[in-house]
Amino acid sequence: MRNVIQSDYVRSLVVGTVAVLGLLGVAGLAFPESVAGDLAGIVFSASTATSTARLAAPIVLAGLGGIFAEKSGVINIGLEGLLIISAFASVYVASLVGIGNALFGIPGIWVGFLAGIAASTALSGVFGIVCIEFKADQIIAGLAVWLIALGLAPFMSTVFFGGVNTPNLGANVGWRYSTAMVALATLASWWTLNRTAFGKHLRAAGENPQALDTVGVSVSRVRHAGVLLSGVLSGVGGSALALSIGQFVGSGETMVQGKGFIAIVAYLFGNYNPIGTLGAGVLFAGLDAVQVRLQQLGYAVPDTLVQTIPYVVVIVVLALVGRTRIPEAAGEHYETEE
Amino acid sequence: MSDSGPGSGTDPDRVPSLARRVLAPFADRSVAERLVISLAAIVLSIAVGFVIVLVSGRVAECTTAAWTMPVTGMGFCYDPVEVYVVLFNGALGYPFAVGEPGLLNPTWSPFNLSFGLTLSETTLLIFTGLSVAVAFRAGLFNIGTQGQLVVGALATALTVLAAAPLLPEGPAAGVVLILVGTAAGAVGGGFWGAIPGALKAYADANEVITTIMLNFVAANVAYVLVLEVFRAEGSSVVATRYVPEYAQIRPWLFSDSSDFALVALAAGVVCIAGLYYLLEHTPFGYDLRTSGVQAAAAEYGGVNAKLTTVRAMTLSGAIGGIGGSVWVLMSEGRWMASVPDLGFDGITVSILAGNNPIGVLPAAFLFGLLKGGALEIGFQTDVPTELVGVLRGLIILFVAMPEFFRMIGRFVGMGSGGTGGVAATSSEAGEAATEGGETDA
Repeated sequence: MRNVIQSDYVRSLVVGTVAVLGLLGVAGLAFPESVAGDLAGIVFSASTATSTARLAAPIVLAGLGGIFAEKSGVINIGLEGLLIISAFASVYVASLVGIGNALFGIPGIWVGFLAGIAASTALSGVFGIVCIEFKADQIIAGLAVWLIALGLAPFMSTVFFGGVNTPNLGANVGWRYSTAMVALATLASWWTLNRTAFGKHLRAAGENPQALDTVGVSVSRVRHAGVLLSGVLSGVGGSALALSIGQFVGSGETMVQGKGFIAIVAYLFGNYNPIGTLGAGVLFAGLDAVQVRLQQLGYAVPDTLVQTIPYVVVIVVLALVGRTRIPEAAGEHYETEE
Repeated sequence: MSDSGPGSGTDPDRVPSLARRVLAPFADRSVAERLVISLAAIVLSIAVGFVIVLVSGRVAECTTAAWTMPVTGMGFCYDPVEVYVVLFNGALGYPFAVGEPGLLNPTWSPFNLSFGLTLSETTLLIFTGLSVAVAFRAGLFNIGTQGQLVVGALATALTVLAAAPLLPEGPAAGVVLILVGTAAGAVGGGFWGAIPGALKAYADANEVITTIMLNFVAANVAYVLVLEVFRAEGSSVVATRYVPEYAQIRPWLFSDSSDFALVALAAGVVCIAGLYYLLEHTPFGYDLRTSGVQAAAAEYGGVNAKLTTVRAMTLSGAIGGIGGSVWVLMSEGRWMASVPDLGFDGITVSILAGNNPIGVLPAAFLFGLLKGGALEIGFQTDVPTELVGVLRGLIILFVAMPEFFRMIGRFVGMGSGGTGGVAATSSEAGEAATEGGETDA
C-alpha cells in the first residue's frame, strides 16, 4: 500500500516536470522571439546544464547522505554544517599541498577533495557519538553541528589566510567530475538501500529497532554507519562545491548558503528515494541556474524572488502531500534490552 | 491519504509528532538539573574554546609569542587567558583592572558604551528567546523566529512611516507611534508564525521544514519589497527611510551610540513575567504545556490540539515580531536588509534556558556578553572574532547532551559518595529512558 503511494507520488512528480518542460519547449519553438523563446533557449542551453550540474552536486549528495542517516533513525539536520566544514577543509588542504604538487601520487586538488570528505566524516562521527552514545536531542545536536561549522570555518580561514574568504586556488574540479560523482552516488545509494543486507538493517534500525535487535544486529552500530555515510556523502558535496570554484567563501552564511537545508527538502521531496532526491536536487539547482541566466539576459525579474520559488514549492508540496512519512523510530533513542 | 503505519486510522494522533517525541524527555527534567547542565555546558565550551585558541595560535604566524605554556615553554600566537578576560571584561566595559592592586577599575561606570551594546543585544535576544521558548513548550520547534522577526520589523517600519505624518510631531506622538509600530510588528510576526502553525495543524506539514523555508521566503520577499517599493531615496544599502527621531526608542543614561534603551529591556522583563504567568497560571498555558508534553493525553482531556498549535505558533511569531519592532525602533531606526541572526540566536538562548521564560533572562544576557565581547576581541586581540560563533555552537552541543553530564555525575558520584546536583538526579535518566521507549507500546 505504502509503496503504491510512493510510486504514485514519484510518478506524478516526474510527469509534472516533463510536462512543464515540454510545454516550454513547444512554446519556445513556436514563438522564438517571446519570453518563452528566451526561456526555452536558456533552459535547454549547454551553459545552463553545466551550471545546474555544478549547483546540484552539493544538494543531491548531502540529500543522499541525509537519507542514510534518517533511514537509520538519526535525523541529521546538520547537513549544512557538514557541507561548510568540507568546503573549507578541501580548499585549505589543497592550498597546503599546493596545486602543482602531489602527495602519494595524488594531485594537490584531489588531496584537498579527500580532506574535505575526511573533515565532514569526522564531524558527522562526533554528531553520531553525541546522538547515539550520549542520547542527545538529534535536532538540537544537528543545529549545533551547523552552528559550530558556521563559526569554525570562517575562524580557521581567518587564522590561516587572514580573512573569512580564502584566496582562489587558481585551479578547480570540472563539472564533469562532480556530475559523474552525483550519478554514481545516486545509483550506489539506491542499490545499497534497496538491494543489500546493510540497506535492510538500515531501514529496520529506523522503522523497528527492536526487531533488528532481536535478530542480533546492533542498532547503534547500524545508526553510526548511517550517520557516517551522511558525513562521507556531504563531504563529497562540500568538496565539490568549493573546488568547483577553487575557493572557500566564508562571509555571511558562507558559500553553502542554505544548500544543506535545501538538501533536506530534496530528500523529503523525493520521499527518501535516491532517484527522487536526484530529481528534486536537479530541479532546485536548475531553477537557480535559469534565474542567473535570466539576469544576464537583462530581464528585470528580481533574482531574489526567483530564488524564493523552491522554498515556496516545498511548503506547498508539504502541505498538499501532508507529512512525508518519516521512519517510525527516527528521533528516538534506542535502549538495548539485555 | 493515510500515510502512517499499520493499525492506524482510528486516531491520527496515535503517533505523536516528531517534535513531541524528541522533546518530551527534554521538557521533563527538573529545573535544578537543567541549571546544572547549562552551567556545565558553558564551562565545557569555554574549555574547548581555550584549546581551539591554543591550537590555532600554534599554527598562526607571529613574531613574538603572546603566551608561553608553563613547563613546556612552548610559545603560542594567541593568549587564551587574555581572550576570555577581554571577552567578559570588555563586554562589561572593563570594570576590572586586571593585574592592578585594587582589581576594580575606579573610573568604571555601568553606563559605558560596551555594556550598553551588550545590554542592547540582551534585550533583542530576550524577545527572540521567548519566541522560541513558547513554541518549544507546546512541543513545536519554531526555527522560524528569524523570519517572523524580519516580517515584524518591516511591518513596524512601514506602519510608523505611514502613520507619522498623520500625527503632530512631539513626544506624545512618539509614544503612540512606538505602541502602534510594536503592535504592527506583533501582528506581522504573528501572521508569519500562524502560517506554519496552521500548516502543521491542518495539513500535517512538519514545522521544522516549513519554518526554515519561511525564513528564506521572508528574507527574500522583504528584500524585494524594500528594493522595489520602499527603498529610501539615495540610500546605498537596501533600507527604508528612517522613522522620525521622536518615534525611536531613545537611549536614556546610556550613550546614543550604544543603541540601548533601558525601557526596552524593562519591556522585555515584563514580557518574561507575563509569559511565565501565562504558561504556568492560566488555562491556555496549561493546554499549551500539556499538548507539548503529552499530546494524546491533552486531547483526551478536552484540549483542542490543532487550535492550540496554531495559537502557540501565532503567539511565538508575535513575540518574534515584537523583537523585530525593538530592532527597528531601538537599534537601527529603519528596516535594513542586513538583519542580524537574532532569530537563530533565539533558538540557542531558549535551549540554554531549558525553554523556561525566566531562564531566558540569564541566557540572553550570556549571549549578549558574547556579542559585546566579540567586538572587544576584535579591537584588543589578534584572535578572529568568529571564535564567538564557535563557542555558541559548542554551548548548544553540550546542552543537547544531558546524558553526557549524567554519566560524569554518576562517575563523580561513585568516586566521592554522591556529591553534586548532577549525581543526585541521575536516577531521572532511567525514567527518561523508559519514557522514550513507551511511545512504541
